[in-house]
Amino acid sequence: MSMERELEGERDMGSRDPLAGRLADGDPGAPRELVERHHTELLRYARALLHDGPAAEDAVQEAFSKTFAALGKYPKERIENLSFRPWLYRITLNVVRNVWRDRRREVVVAETPERTDERFGDVVSDSSTGPEKKEAWLDALEALRRLSERQQVAVALRYLEDLPYAEIAERTGWPENTCKTLVRRGIGRLGVLLSGRSDAKNGNGGHSR
Amino acid sequence: MKDEGSRRFGGRSDEEHAVELLRDAGTRLGASQGDPGEFVEHVLARGTDRLFTCDSPLGEVYVGVSERGVRLVGRADLPEEFARRYRERFGRLLSWGTDETTRRLARRVATAFAGEKVEVPADLSGTTPFQRRVLEVVKGIPRGEVRPYAWVAREAGSPRASRAVGTVMANNPVPLVVPCHRVVRNDGTTGSYAFGAEEKVGLLEGEGVPVGELTISPYLATPTTGIFCHATCPNARRIKPANRRRFRSAEAATNAGYRPCRVCRPVVSR
Repeated sequence: MSMERELEGERDMGSRDPLAGRLADGDPGAPRELVERHHTELLRYARALLHDGPAAEDAVQEAFSKTFAALGKYPKERIENLSFRPWLYRITLNVVRNVWRDRRREVVVAETPERTDERFGDVVSDSSTGPEKKEAWLDALEALRRLSERQQVAVALRYLEDLPYAEIAERTGWPENTCKTLVRRGIGRLGVLLSGRSDAKNGNGGHSR
Repeated sequence: MKDEGSRRFGGRSDEEHAVELLRDAGTRLGASQGDPGEFVEHVLARGTDRLFTCDSPLGEVYVGVSERGVRLVGRADLPEEFARRYRERFGRLLSWGTDETTRRLARRVATAFAGEKVEVPADLSGTTPFQRRVLEVVKGIPRGEVRPYAWVAREAGSPRASRAVGTVMANNPVPLVVPCHRVVRNDGTTGSYAFGAEEKVGLLEGEGVPVGELTISPYLATPTTGIFCHATCPNARRIKPANRRRFRSAEAATNAGYRPCRVCRPVVSR
């Protein structure tokens, strides 16, 4: 996780976010605007990494709580120079990591299709596609979980969020080439996992079940 | 299932197949949103303290509230100024209290500021144990009554801390909710106030306190019972005018043979 070090997303002078100025100034309308501006993309991001709607909502709420707690303690100048997007993504990833860790600690239960269906109840009930395809995309998400953490993040941003590499780099704080490598290797491994070939069983990375 | 999928997408590489499934998953994940407005409200309620304005006898005041209750009341030229003060004091951001819980509390506070007897929860978590004891004692002084600093000190369990009580009053984060304007000097004069001494007199007169009389005789006694009270104690107000005996101090009343009322418990220094 060396790339993940404290990149707080401090911005160059001149390209300051006006909302950062208003938050630093104490504008009581600014916190709502920050949430309204970023919650949709963060929810998608958390859903992509957690595969669970309620858990993702809770994670994003907690990420915003941590953000606001930090903003309550930072000096004015520091808030003015913040670049919120990468910072929010980093905080969200930290919360997601805690969820992953807690899940690993839970008694390992074999994942049955029923359980998966239940968690995606609203999504699965969408009847626009055939039953096989439904399970196929769920399989893809399940396989995604078996990648290394950074591969999961990069692949989720690239293909679940459909972001170009420059934006993936901006949100994660990782160099663009690193993002490309992570996505290439991640997709390579996903291809193997989803094809059901036997070498998928003894993979590296990701957390086992 | 997996084998079948692999065969179905046989024309393409495993990687392309994986990418296609992921894009499909992305579309579905994006589509399963709940009510965004409700989500934003939850985030704000959980992550920030809330702000509203309220009419009061001091004019319009800003009120900052946490989950536990009212944390800061004050006047400011702009909401930003109040929010900055709040952040410096408590390390929390304020956002406009648009949720139903805050609106309900705002109505309650407005009712209390208008003089009705309703309980307003106060969050005194940012204060020291002594400050909190003092503020809680003062919160219990009813409308229309006043008590001297020495009395508050004694009731808070620190009888020699009259001066420290004065400091706590000067820094009271929640004026009106904790009615520090009802704490007066030991000689019955009203003393100073964070919003100005005249404001204090105005507030007390608005609550029916006979400010002028108090400065002459903060204690009243009656020979029919041999008891003396703070002049604003409900028992003192029941004394018939003909029986009223006025005293400048509790000591003078004691020396004249009266004993302190058990309801308002005047302090007699020795």
